[in-house]
Amino acid sequence: MNGWLEPKYVGWLAHGFEMTLLLSACVIVSATLLGVALAMARNARNGFVTRIAALYVLVFRNSPLLVQLLFWYFGAATLLPQSWMEWLNTPHTLSLSTFTLAWPPFEFVAGWIGLTCYATTFVGEEFRAGMRGVKDGQYLAAAALGLAPFGTFRYVILPQAIRIATPPLAGQYMNIVKNSSLTMAIGLAELSYTSRQVDTETFKTFQAFGAATVLYIATIAAIEVGLILWKRRSAHAWQRGNA
Amino acid sequence: MKIRFAGAVIMGLMLAVSSAAHADRLDDIKKAGVLRVATFDSNPPFGFVDPKNNQIVGLDVDYARAVADKLGVKLEIQPTNPANRIAFLKSGKVDLVFANFTITDERKKEVDFSTPYFASGTQFIAKKGVLKTPQQLNSLRVGADKGTTNEQQVRAQFPGATIVAYDDTPFAFAALRTGNVQAITQDGPKLVALLANVPDKANYEISPFTISNDYEGVGVPKGETRLLNVVDDTLKGLEANGTAGKIYDQWFGPSSRAPLPRLFKIGDPQKS
Repeated sequence: MNGWLEPKYVGWLAHGFEMTLLLSACVIVSATLLGVALAMARNARNGFVTRIAALYVLVFRNSPLLVQLLFWYFGAATLLPQSWMEWLNTPHTLSLSTFTLAWPPFEFVAGWIGLTCYATTFVGEEFRAGMRGVKDGQYLAAAALGLAPFGTFRYVILPQAIRIATPPLAGQYMNIVKNSSLTMAIGLAELSYTSRQVDTETFKTFQAFGAATVLYIATIAAIEVGLILWKRRSAHAWQRGNA
Repeated sequence: MKIRFAGAVIMGLMLAVSSAAHADRLDDIKKAGVLRVATFDSNPPFGFVDPKNNQIVGLDVDYARAVADKLGVKLEIQPTNPANRIAFLKSGKVDLVFANFTITDERKKEVDFSTPYFASGTQFIAKKGVLKTPQQLNSLRVGADKGTTNEQQVRAQFPGATIVAYDDTPFAFAALRTGNVQAITQDGPKLVALLANVPDKANYEISPFTISNDYEGVGVPKGETRLLNVVDDTLKGLEANGTAGKIYDQWFGPSSRAPLPRLFKIGDPQKS
């Protein structure tokens, strides 16, 4: 066991954890937005749009995430012109009065795209399940009130669908956090990557991977707690009748 | 006190006698007319089986043959591997080990080493013309293999470099080809072997410098000073008359299958 990690290596792990959180947050936001769009596309009246959406789900849900990440990082990169790759790989900063926004490394971009494409299928299917969980009577009632299709969706179906889909969505968000560890294969310095790096430099294997495990569990637990709080609040709102 | 002194004298005498009894391996070799050498049989281009005639050939074999020729005896090759080469030498089954044998302090406790005849170290592959001096690394994205000493050396010596570590060297090379990194690092001979199989190898080059150095020497049984001296003198002689350079060029020269710049000559001062 021979003691705890030196501050330098704790710093590496902290940096990796920060990257895991940042990547997960970015993917959760983009996958949620695209997931709603995907669910709508799958329920669209236009047969062509539905088929394209179904094909997207087929492709991205039925292949391993690791292969997809390698495709985006190594494969897709060869298709881009050389000058684009040079631009993507050189640091760019955008200065906004007080803080600067740094262009992320290409590993981050590829990881973000890869995880988003993959997670969108699962998030989209959860939304679709939520929408199907809303009873037909609600559509008819909305129509009877004179709401147009968009109004029906926005004010009647979506609020109920979100409530039905939230618990499984939280599960998908947990998966996103855990799946982000696969980006270590494309060289993104997130938590799994830095814990491996600390292990090879210090030979303190237990401490390095133990710390990473604890941080992942803490992140997942935080999502769990968020879900419980949300459930409690919405239950109160439901009882007050102003959901 | 007296007993202890007497004990020390006896010990000293025994040591002197035992080393005198063993330190004539050189005479044994000359008497037998055969120099028994352990080399690798599956580590090209240091020592490997030539598929054409089933003989073990390679850079190490050529150096061993030069030593045998100098002694005027026949060369007998014993295939070995990294795990048993020290055992071969210590048990007396071979006289010398020419097996890409890196000189380390740990191994010096078990065997003696000749002056180094080959050096390898952490080097880089980059697109032609990109990487000329080590200082340029500070502004580059460098691909490495996870968990290698190469990765750690670059991080320690070039704090400005951005290191991206991959699962193995082919992945790192794929990242170099797509432009995700501008250079990749590994041991020179491994980079050479990698580059040899690349279809567009003309676009890439191996850095004309190393950032660390491992030295390979001939393994000689402990205490065989006369044999060690003959090996050292032979190696220096090979450098002086140009044979050493010719042997190197046959396996690593510009027209070989795996060209690697010759950065170390026999007798050069050793860098850490």
